Amino acid sequence: MRDDKPPLGPIESGQLPLVKAPDSIWSSILASLDEDRAPVRRGTHWWVLAAAFSLASAVVLWLTIRPKPPSWEVSRLDGAPSVGSRRLTDSGRIAVGEWLQTDASSRARIGIGEIGSVEVEPNSRVRLLAAKPNEHRLALDRGEISAVVTAPPRLFFVDTPASTAVDLGCAYKMKTDESGSGLLSVTAGWVALEWKGRESLVPAGASCRTRQGDGPGTPYFADASEAFRDALAAFDFQKGGSDSLRVVRGEARVRDTLTLWHLLSRVGRDERVRLLDRMVELMPLPQGVSREKALDLDADTLGRWRQELAWKW
Amino acid sequence: MRRLMNWQVNQSDRQVSAGIIEGCRQGDRAAFHALYQAYKDKVYSISLYFFQGDAAAASDATQQVFLKLLTGIGQFRGGSEFSTWLYRMVVNTCLDNAKAGRRRARPTDDAVLQRIASQGSAEEELARAEIAGKVQAALSSLPPKFRLPVLLRYFDDLSYGEMAEALNCSMGTVASRLHQGHKMLAEKLAKLRGVAAGR
Repeated sequence: MRDDKPPLGPIESGQLPLVKAPDSIWSSILASLDEDRAPVRRGTHWWVLAAAFSLASAVVLWLTIRPKPPSWEVSRLDGAPSVGSRRLTDSGRIAVGEWLQTDASSRARIGIGEIGSVEVEPNSRVRLLAAKPNEHRLALDRGEISAVVTAPPRLFFVDTPASTAVDLGCAYKMKTDESGSGLLSVTAGWVALEWKGRESLVPAGASCRTRQGDGPGTPYFADASEAFRDALAAFDFQKGGSDSLRVVRGEARVRDTLTLWHLLSRVGRDERVRLLDRMVELMPLPQGVSREKALDLDADTLGRWRQELAWKW
Repeated sequence: MRRLMNWQVNQSDRQVSAGIIEGCRQGDRAAFHALYQAYKDKVYSISLYFFQGDAAAASDATQQVFLKLLTGIGQFRGGSEFSTWLYRMVVNTCLDNAKAGRRRARPTDDAVLQRIASQGSAEEELARAEIAGKVQAALSSLPPKFRLPVLLRYFDDLSYGEMAEALNCSMGTVASRLHQGHKMLAEKLAKLRGVAAGR
């Protein structure tokens, strides 16, 4: 089936004409690409330019031919962040194994190979763990980062003491405090939080707490009610049990089926029945999703159900 | 330093050469422009019909897709996976923009869609252009999860596997959504043809 072409359907040729993209789009793209170019200085003597060009060429040649350890580009945004023992004054590189540290008044941006960038907020400490074509990996020891990634999924990873954030094509913020606990907030796309076989899938507009020793909690939408969020936190990290789940079910809206779906595999059978009943009240079971198989936590069934629910998330 | 090369993308088989990818990765703007020229109209058209004729939304989405493409193109080495990856970006960008409310859902503008239908077809009969506009309105009335697979199938010759990757779902789900989308469209179109025949 993989290589088969689906049928074309009832739309006849010409009824969906190809529309020419306006020329202004390319102009806008060029403007975005040219934004960071520095202006050419006038009045410089030609021999100064020639000497500078020759020197630059020699340096580039030397840099090109010598073997380089894997590293990413780093630029200073505010203050004076440090890479290893070096203060960063403008831009530099962070090699695999090195730490980048910011104090209360400094920030930095790390280029994730050629697939995106990470902004490192004040009072943060991150380490470059891998810089390979199929694995780009940072460790966030403490503090906060904001990541924007444009790449196929599962190329960029951030390890924290309480989970690993796996990029699925997205933008997000990640915070970790001194105790190793943290908060992930996704602004575009999806992120998977993984830890010891447990996985939380977090879409845009949603967040997920993490706690060292417990791993990722249950994802929730940031606009869920305060009672919902408090009860969920109690269930995830304070053994809130049935009382917490009662509040979660009662406060849930259609889009909070994100949370309820994740909870299905984190509770016993009796609670699972109550969760499923509440989910069906909010959104009927789609065709092809069996109630019994869902209660049995059949992976295919839960996957299909999630794909349908995700249209409302 | 720009390389003076005349890049061409062979659209008939949707294969993007490793040379074009490498050119884009090296910052060769001519290579990127060739890639843009090859896919811009499809990307724009899919976005335009997804956003129900909203040209500004479609332009925004198209610009974002190609800027993201240039940022991430270093990960690809050419081959058939390129268009799948491109359309995945189109799908994600359209859905993210719609979800973020950057372009709020608005009633389908039949007049806009009729103008699209009659573009470049000055000789077409008015009735046929009107029907075409209503076809597009019928498509626009589909929920996004059915609209996107129909658009991807119509505008490019993707297989089940390629559509599954672009839509980030299983092939079974692709088949199901296309079937339901086509069925809903057929019902709406049957009514329209009945109306047209009765004129």
